[in-house]
Amino acid sequence: MSCTLGEVKNRADFIIYWGGNPAECHPRHFTKYTLTQKGKFLPRGRKDRTMVLVDIRETMSAKAADIFLQVRPGKDFEMLTILRALVKNQKVSAEAVADTGLTLEQLQDLVDRMKKAKFGVLFFGMGLSMTRGKHMNSAAALTLAAEMNAFTKFVAMPMRGHGNVTGADVVLRYTTGYPFGISLTRGYPRFNPGEYSTIDLLVRGDNDATLVIGADPGATMPKPAIEHLKRTPTIVLDPKVTHTSRLARVHITTAVTGVSAPGTAYRMDEVPLPLRPALKSPYPTDEDVLKRIIAAVQKKPAWYPETRNQAQIA
Amino acid sequence: MSTSVMPEGAKHELTVVKHATCTFCGCVCDDIELHANSERIVETKRACILGEAWFKNHTAERLYPDALIDGKEATVDEAVEAAADILHKANMPLVYGLSNTTCEAQRQAVWLAELVGGVIDSHTSL
Repeated sequence: MSCTLGEVKNRADFIIYWGGNPAECHPRHFTKYTLTQKGKFLPRGRKDRTMVLVDIRETMSAKAADIFLQVRPGKDFEMLTILRALVKNQKVSAEAVADTGLTLEQLQDLVDRMKKAKFGVLFFGMGLSMTRGKHMNSAAALTLAAEMNAFTKFVAMPMRGHGNVTGADVVLRYTTGYPFGISLTRGYPRFNPGEYSTIDLLVRGDNDATLVIGADPGATMPKPAIEHLKRTPTIVLDPKVTHTSRLARVHITTAVTGVSAPGTAYRMDEVPLPLRPALKSPYPTDEDVLKRIIAAVQKKPAWYPETRNQAQIA
Repeated sequence: MSTSVMPEGAKHELTVVKHATCTFCGCVCDDIELHANSERIVETKRACILGEAWFKNHTAERLYPDALIDGKEATVDEAVEAAADILHKANMPLVYGLSNTTCEAQRQAVWLAELVGGVIDSHTSL
């Protein structure tokens, strides 16, 4: 269950940030959407809203929060599960509560406030989705938000970084039916994170070539993955010669998205926005280069022999 | 290489782009006003500290070769051909990244992945 940031601005009177540091990573999130703006149903702006920050350390964002809850590292899933129990008025063991580094009073107070809210939002960042528990944590956060709808309007939204990563999800979803980690090796899409996710493929050495667009895995990925990028032919499309370009077989310089390349990008709430580039690049765009690679591939014989396909059908 | 600030009355024309969109983070703020000469963005109204750095660090200068093959300078045509060869020969090519690019390019990437019978994945899987 999610909503747009416009709805957050106009309606959300209770905001939780979990495992994210918007003050430093999404600096205008507070001022444009979640905290300081006056909304249609929140005429007093910041005064009409309550903000809770859940994180393992007191980041810059804690200064903006009304309540800061310092969860013990790696105990997010446990805390979410206790909150879900409290929402349903179930008993929770004192040890389980103590394990999260918080008190029962703090957690009960949070649940009471969540229930009293008119419109609650749970924004969760990589501190939740990329630490111990990973997608199980995200699932628990989404379930908590969904279950809160028995009491009030409550939504959850991931705090996406990396410009148009939301656009990648959307485009892959509407073209293949799945958001990421998709194999087309049989000619139809199959989805299996862990099998078709990049790090797993590279570390196991499953793929025998890589095309990298708008990313620099050579600077961020674990060593065995980088070794595999070096071992097999890698192609990079990027506005800069990156770490990955240096270990790649082919690098093509492209225009910068939004600065000198036009197109569309999705905001984290899945609202598509047009890009208005201010500069004219001496380099082609990613789109142009990909079209040219496609045209060059199409001149070659298809990767599956047509006869075999026909034989199978017959 | 040019100097970073345009002197007054210089030959460059100043372009003003209202409602420009910043793609540095997931906020994708679309209310930025950019002032640019033909080479670089000189002012970024309403952009945050991250957005300002993003816009000002990317210029229209030719700082890198058009393309590299095995570390040697090449034309885009040669590099496109080499890329097509590699992807066509591979049994299981991987198309990865897609964050710092447009939806239009992402669509082409999906098509290419399908064409060469590969795997496609984004930063989301990290």
